[in-house]
Amino acid sequence: MARKHECVAMLLAGGQGSRLGILTKNIAKPAVPYGGKYRIIDFPLSNCVNSGIYTVGVLTQYQPLVLNDYIGNGQPWDLDRFDGGVHILSPYQQIKGTEWYKGTANAIYQNINFIERYDPEYVLILSGDHIYKMDYSDMLDFHKANNADCTIAMIEVPWEEASRFGLMLVNDDGSIAEFEEKPKNPRSNKASMGIYIFNWKKLRKYLIDDEANEASGNDFGHDVIPAMHGAGERMFAYQFDGYWKDVGTIDSLWDSNLDLLNPKVDLDLDDDSWKIYSRSPAAPPHYVSASAKIENSMITEGCEISGDVDFSVLFANVRVEEGADVKYSIVMPGTVIKKGATVQYSIVAENSVIEEGATVGRSPEEMSNIEDWGVTVIGNGVTIGKGVSVEPKAMIDTDMGGEK
Amino acid sequence: MASKDVLGIIFSNANDEVVPELTALRTMGSVPFAGRYRLIDFELSGMVNAGIPQVGILTNSNYRSLMDHLGNGKPWDLARKRDGLTILPPFNLSDSGVFKGRMDALYGSIGYISDSGKDYVLITDCNVITDIDYEAFIDYHIEKKAEITIAYANGFSPKIKDATELVLDGDGRVIDDRLNDNYLNSVNCSLKMMVINRNLLERILHEANAKRITGFEEFFARNTGNIRIYGYEHKGYVRIIDGIKSYYEANLDLLNPDVRRALFPAGKPVYTKISDRVPAKYGINSSVKNSLIADGCKIDGEVENCILFRGVTVSKGAKVRNSIIMQNTVIGENADVEFVIADKDVQVGVRKKLCGAENYPVYIGKGIII
Repeated sequence: MARKHECVAMLLAGGQGSRLGILTKNIAKPAVPYGGKYRIIDFPLSNCVNSGIYTVGVLTQYQPLVLNDYIGNGQPWDLDRFDGGVHILSPYQQIKGTEWYKGTANAIYQNINFIERYDPEYVLILSGDHIYKMDYSDMLDFHKANNADCTIAMIEVPWEEASRFGLMLVNDDGSIAEFEEKPKNPRSNKASMGIYIFNWKKLRKYLIDDEANEASGNDFGHDVIPAMHGAGERMFAYQFDGYWKDVGTIDSLWDSNLDLLNPKVDLDLDDDSWKIYSRSPAAPPHYVSASAKIENSMITEGCEISGDVDFSVLFANVRVEEGADVKYSIVMPGTVIKKGATVQYSIVAENSVIEEGATVGRSPEEMSNIEDWGVTVIGNGVTIGKGVSVEPKAMIDTDMGGEK
Repeated sequence: MASKDVLGIIFSNANDEVVPELTALRTMGSVPFAGRYRLIDFELSGMVNAGIPQVGILTNSNYRSLMDHLGNGKPWDLARKRDGLTILPPFNLSDSGVFKGRMDALYGSIGYISDSGKDYVLITDCNVITDIDYEAFIDYHIEKKAEITIAYANGFSPKIKDATELVLDGDGRVIDDRLNDNYLNSVNCSLKMMVINRNLLERILHEANAKRITGFEEFFARNTGNIRIYGYEHKGYVRIIDGIKSYYEANLDLLNPDVRRALFPAGKPVYTKISDRVPAKYGINSSVKNSLIADGCKIDGEVENCILFRGVTVSKGAKVRNSIIMQNTVIGENADVEFVIADKDVQVGVRKKLCGAENYPVYIGKGIII
């Protein structure tokens, strides 16, 4: 048996993220690129190591190839360790048969043996869906101080958006009075962030009970948390103040990337005391030619820029040729935007080619009917032919020809 | 695939004296170069990309920054149980103090060389910037059945103290090896890189130690007749750093796409210590032309013909032209900087003006506040 660990983190990274459409056709949502050089999963992983949690189980299921390869042995996050470290936990064959992870709680249930090896007091449950910087050790201190059985991280969201979230009504002492799941008329704006700390022994019991209950959907939010609450366990809400964004939709992914260009947004990724680590592509610094014009943008290693870039986030090894115009867009690694092409209000995934004179996306101002406007998405490895025009809101995952 | 039978040895301190400003606090190997690298990254990555599994780094003085940079060799995939990276601090078998020449430096590590068990040893310096293919170099050595092969390029002889000219016969065999201190044009100039059979190297080192010979050149010149020494011509990109001016030019060479392609060939990455900086941020009204910009930079001013290392800040209204600005240096608002090499952590204050000349860039030392 391994040395006893106070807290083990379990990161639920098996979700498809279907609302991201073609961006998650071949990769799991936590592997979606973000912020010029990161993938979404870099945030919870970096938060773990910055919080002093060095034992992380990553539960994968949907399209795990890219994610597994990206995490590798965990070295970019200092999680390549003899004692603990990062472990990829995929569904496996057992004597009683093979089972996919049926729900978030079932995924943890199937890995009870992994957690038991470290004999932890606490288990931290995370998801790979959010962009935020959070010190989990503060949350753990709060959990201990309240002698809680379960602590749920909570953030106050704007009232008008509250009905999209799982909400909590919180007593004055921080304990949770009631849960509301996406109510029409919210009575609270305190949203669950999907981050839980449990006393392991207690959680273990509830997971086993939940598994035995055939009516259960085996989900933390729907089944396990309500069961614990119903049984009168000590449940507390830990308030988080800071940047936190679910990047589960095209619009929120686009918004959240552009937030990085807004000096008023409280998300500093260049903070030495809380670095966000990622696997480096080993490319030289980016080159900006004499014909380039770059403003309000984030650009990283390996890029070659000769065109105009404004309000955009460019990932590694992107090439923007002379006369090309990139505005309000997210361009993922290895994509080439050729001479005279225009890309605006778009997300272009990895290794795509926008040929000369093509037009991708449009600005809202150009639309006669604003209802028709939306972010344009070009999938991985897609070529948009010469002079082709791609409409707003379109999602393109096959080549579009043009004049030969 | 002979590379697996090769031990790489890098002289991290060789020619430190030609750029005393840059090496006051570090070795030649840890001199920052090309926006996010140290010179030694190019040697190390070249060796790793050629399939060389074991590399020893000879150090002499001021090597703390080098050790910090190299760590256990992980960024180059050289943190291994078998082979891998070893830093070889000065180890003097004969008298006290640090070594005087390459021969006694190697002699101090003769045990390491011998224990490697490799058939060949590839020995290089750090101040020669080139796209030489080590695999082809080693293959040539084997094909010629040479005992020693020295890489050379035809061109200017650099202003380094052991600049050497090779005189070759028709077959490429070295018939003379002479110190060239007139810095002539169009000579076959040694790149201070050689492949040598390990058994021979050990023998030579023992002999040289007995005879108190410290440099290779003297030994080679005496032995061209009885040792098969060959020259290997490198026709690609070469820039030898022999002073602050050539250091400056070698950096600015990278603004040329052909040089970038030569030094960063597709499929052969140059590895370095990872610093996990955020991508560079361009503000409103920033203007950048013909420059190489590393991650972590924040640019709100004007930048032209520059190399900006990681984490450089160019504040609003500042102008930076024809300059090399190293890690975490801050150029204050409305400052004007031209023909300058600013080392790490320099702060150029608001509205300050600094101007060198094209043939004489001004160097500003690490951490200086102006």
